[in-house]
Amino acid sequence: MSEFQIQSVALASQQTAPAWLSHLRQQQTETWQAAAWPGRKTEAWRYTSLAPLENQTWQLAQACSAELPDDLVLSDALRVVFVNGHFSAQLSDPLPQGVTPFSRAQPEEQVLILAGLNQTLVADKHLFASLNGALLNDGLWLHLEPGQRLAQPIYLLHLQTAQQEGELAPVRILVQLGQSAEATLLEDYRVQAPGISAVSAVTELQLGANASLQHYRLNLEEENHLHLGSVHATLAADARLQGFTLASGSRLKRLDYHLRHLGQGADLKLQGIYLPRGNQRIDYHTEVEHVVPHCTTDEVFRGVIADTAKACFNGRIHIHPQAQKTLAEMSNRNLLTSPRAEINTKPELEIYADDVKCAHGATVSQLNDEALFYMTSRGISAAEARVMLSFGFVNELVEGLALEELRVWLRPKIAAIFAQTSSLTRHLIHD
Amino acid sequence: MLKIKDLCASVEEKAILRSLNLEIKPGEIHAIMGPNGAGKSTLGNVLAGRPGYEVTSGSVELKGQDLLEMDPEVRAREGLFLAFQYPVEIPGVSNMELLKAAVDAKRQHEGKSELSAIEFMKMAREACKAVSLDQSFLKRGVNEGFSGGEKKRNEIMQMMLLEPSLCILDETDSGLDIDALQVVANGVNAMRSEERSFIVVTHYQRLLDYIVPDFVHVLAHGRIVKSGDKSLALELEAKGYSWLEQEVL
Amino acid sequence: MSEQVEKLIRKEYSAGFHTDIESETLPPGLNEEVIRFISAKKGEPEWLLEWRLKAFKVWQSMQEPDWAHVTYPKIDFQAISYYSAPKSLADRPKSLDEVDPDLIETYNKLGIPLHEQEMLAGVAVDAVFDSVSVVTTFREKLEEAGVIFCPISEAVHKYPDLVKKYLGSVVPQRDNYYAALNSAVFSDGSFVYIPKGVRSPMELSTYFRINEMNTGQFERTLIIADEGAYVSYLEGCTAPQRDENQLHAAVVELVALDNAEIKYSTVQNWYPGNEEGKGGIYNFVTKRGICHTRAKISWTQVETGSAVTWKYPSCILKGDYSIGEFYSVALTNNFQQADTGTKMIHLGKHTKSTIISKGISAGQSQNAYRGLVRMGPTAEGARNYTQCDSLLIGDRCGAHTFPYIESAHPTAVVEHEATTSKVSDDQMFLCQQRGLDAEKAVSMIVNGFCREVFKQLPMEFAVEAGKLLEVSLEGSVG
Repeated sequence: MSEFQIQSVALASQQTAPAWLSHLRQQQTETWQAAAWPGRKTEAWRYTSLAPLENQTWQLAQACSAELPDDLVLSDALRVVFVNGHFSAQLSDPLPQGVTPFSRAQPEEQVLILAGLNQTLVADKHLFASLNGALLNDGLWLHLEPGQRLAQPIYLLHLQTAQQEGELAPVRILVQLGQSAEATLLEDYRVQAPGISAVSAVTELQLGANASLQHYRLNLEEENHLHLGSVHATLAADARLQGFTLASGSRLKRLDYHLRHLGQGADLKLQGIYLPRGNQRIDYHTEVEHVVPHCTTDEVFRGVIADTAKACFNGRIHIHPQAQKTLAEMSNRNLLTSPRAEINTKPELEIYADDVKCAHGATVSQLNDEALFYMTSRGISAAEARVMLSFGFVNELVEGLALEELRVWLRPKIAAIFAQTSSLTRHLIHD
Repeated sequence: MLKIKDLCASVEEKAILRSLNLEIKPGEIHAIMGPNGAGKSTLGNVLAGRPGYEVTSGSVELKGQDLLEMDPEVRAREGLFLAFQYPVEIPGVSNMELLKAAVDAKRQHEGKSELSAIEFMKMAREACKAVSLDQSFLKRGVNEGFSGGEKKRNEIMQMMLLEPSLCILDETDSGLDIDALQVVANGVNAMRSEERSFIVVTHYQRLLDYIVPDFVHVLAHGRIVKSGDKSLALELEAKGYSWLEQEVL
Repeated sequence: MSEQVEKLIRKEYSAGFHTDIESETLPPGLNEEVIRFISAKKGEPEWLLEWRLKAFKVWQSMQEPDWAHVTYPKIDFQAISYYSAPKSLADRPKSLDEVDPDLIETYNKLGIPLHEQEMLAGVAVDAVFDSVSVVTTFREKLEEAGVIFCPISEAVHKYPDLVKKYLGSVVPQRDNYYAALNSAVFSDGSFVYIPKGVRSPMELSTYFRINEMNTGQFERTLIIADEGAYVSYLEGCTAPQRDENQLHAAVVELVALDNAEIKYSTVQNWYPGNEEGKGGIYNFVTKRGICHTRAKISWTQVETGSAVTWKYPSCILKGDYSIGEFYSVALTNNFQQADTGTKMIHLGKHTKSTIISKGISAGQSQNAYRGLVRMGPTAEGARNYTQCDSLLIGDRCGAHTFPYIESAHPTAVVEHEATTSKVSDDQMFLCQQRGLDAEKAVSMIVNGFCREVFKQLPMEFAVEAGKLLEVSLEGSVG
């Protein structure tokens, strides 16, 4: 066992409430204890060091009061706030039927939650999923009946106060959509103090037949925050999932997406943007499994890596032998904007069915010289042109987002990542 | 307006322009013609300051200032505009963002205040109308998915907004049908004034039916080998370029 | 359609015969004594024996790699014989007339005539039978040009300085498990040296043949192109049809000094095993070249054979403006498994690499492309273009792509594209409507799919490769 495993097992033993989750915690603790700690040769961790986790003393983040940030992403939404992993009724909107924090679940609901948890997970593929289970004490259960449609998006805001050094918080989300149900969920992770802190987050998305989910995830936490997150989804027949994930820097961000087509006619669109700078590290691992025929996947990830930052993208599409008539595409494009930035990308295809159309592409380059010259020849300074082009590179994805409030919110945030001075970003921010 | 003296330039260590001389006064239109590979496009690119085009000797003055000392964006702000032969596509950056940034940069350079978003939009819409481009093109990525003709009209639209004093049209007529050609020519003619000069680079005489030049120069082997008035263009159209090459060489 | 393809794929392995030749074969097993025996048998100098023993020590401390997308029963390295030589060669023949007629007959059956008069003009052949180089043709003509082309066992004696300097310089002993094993027990292979500024007057070619049962073949090839030199080198391989698996663990090292160019082409047709997946060669090969300033190495491979292939011909682009190329067709049928690709390591400025890989999977085979493109922190202005296409024939096979792209320089540009598709019903129908039968149609479509690679091969090899593909595909249409 690694030093971090020993520490976190001790933390798990401190987690005593709620009682109805204790059996699950126990089980998951055992899995976590037994998990092999990755070494330099472990393929899934080839490019990412876990040293920031190991060189730290951790404690459980405690429930406490907090203030809402000024820059909320969504106003027209149902806000559900967790502080340090604990549901905060005070900061949240009144919750309708079907939106239930674990800590508020009635006994009959507890049974359903327990039955649903871990159903989309393949534990040995995701090292930190069992850590999340071992520490589990609260979470959000979004459970829609067949045909149910939520009028508003769910805005899940996780605030980590990070008052003390080394606070670790578990976040858990379980989404179950009945047949033809529809929902929009935005996960927004925030840290409110600069000290070292970490979140372990697991999201499970279970889409019933013909269900439709827009799922957005924002990880814009700063420097000293570590994020170990994973999203696991299963799609029944004709289900539609639109996923979007955006990460900018911290010392360690690892995000796993594991999405499985289990019913014919399911459709997946997954878009991701990573923007590490400074000395940040971002590592995305995605795996899409086509288990049945006639499903489609369209996956696009783009990254701009600056300064001495490093990013890793490992995308895998796996077509099982029965999954004929699959259409799957994956594209990963990267810009390196500094001499010491680094990208490691590995777009994989694993295909066991013949009647499929699959393609992937990956590129690594710097900003397009032609475009730079075009812009400067119009009188724009080279510095501003660079910012505009970097922005444009990822903006292509942002522009396509269905959630307009998010689109508007993101523009200045992304622009600010490319340049701190407003003279370089002002033409990107307009109302 | 523009004084080019003994200009020599090379691309990837290959000499393209070999001692080129040209003087343009305010209000004049000069057509530059010549066979393929003569260095016509190189001239526009050298004047606009494209990286990779190395000036090996000679001088260029724009309104009395040393043009070659300036960065490309400063040349643009000083009033030089190059309408590209092959405008690049820039997905993700909208036409409007590019233009607002460009207009603001120029106004700032001239010590003027920036235009408000509303004023700018009004100007941009008018410019679109003048070249028969739908306003929706302002919101699209720069040249992204534009047809050949739309790209060229977009160049002219930008030219109108930036109000340059020296416009260089690099084979703007290539790939245009007759209707688009007229739209482009009308745009240029509307901008003709006593203070504004044009260099029209073209392989064919056709464009010059619509944009009537004051002078026609033939560029061959990196130099101007013959100059005349618009009748020279007609002569070239009738006889081709080969007779000239024999005459000169 | 699948049934037709299936029928077409079934054809006998034509190189599957065994030649009855009296051999001197070491009993199975591997220890220091065996290595001393091999070394002594070749009368090697002390330094080479030490080099082998060091490699053996390293090998003993290493683990067999398991990351490739292949599965096979664990190899018992003590059950393999590490030395086998035709007895009649105990004293190496001075000329072709002294070679055992059975052996000559073997090569004739394989379509590799060793008699110089019958030879295709302009190709010099080094034939390696089991572990020993049996004959090298056209040596005199090559010597005139200053080109050295001889068995490496001979080069050890005649050109010790060159061998000592370059052996293991590209693929070090501890590079990987099989390379370490090869370094310890290699028996023979080809040695080529092209002096400064010389273009080899003809194509050089080696044919490898495994004949004996339970024998491993561990040849070692070393090619050095001195400054400004050029050589095109061809390699072909076959083995008899046997129910047991046989191991082939070769090492090929290429050194292209400043402005030199090496073109290395392989048509690999080791016995792939039968329709049920019984028998066949385990082909675990390490091939790597190093390019100095403005040098170029081009690997072209057509892989149709072997039960299991584990092979990544690579280029280290050390010198500025150097160029690496990898063109590959890998076809797997029945129960074959291939995990093959390349590594392009860009260290020098403005280095350029191109990777074109075409994988064709039929039957119940698994075919994986695995590649690495690394742009080091010094690789200013470097470029890579990679295209990996997979074609699936039938619904029980697999096609996989595992490209690693690592870039640490902002001016380096990497482009990777991959597609997977099947021979479409529309394409088949079009061909058939024009009067072609299903077999011809598939073979035409597959040949078209591979064209970009075939055109890199020297003429007579390209023809051979096309035919080989056709044969290997038989029975795959259905």
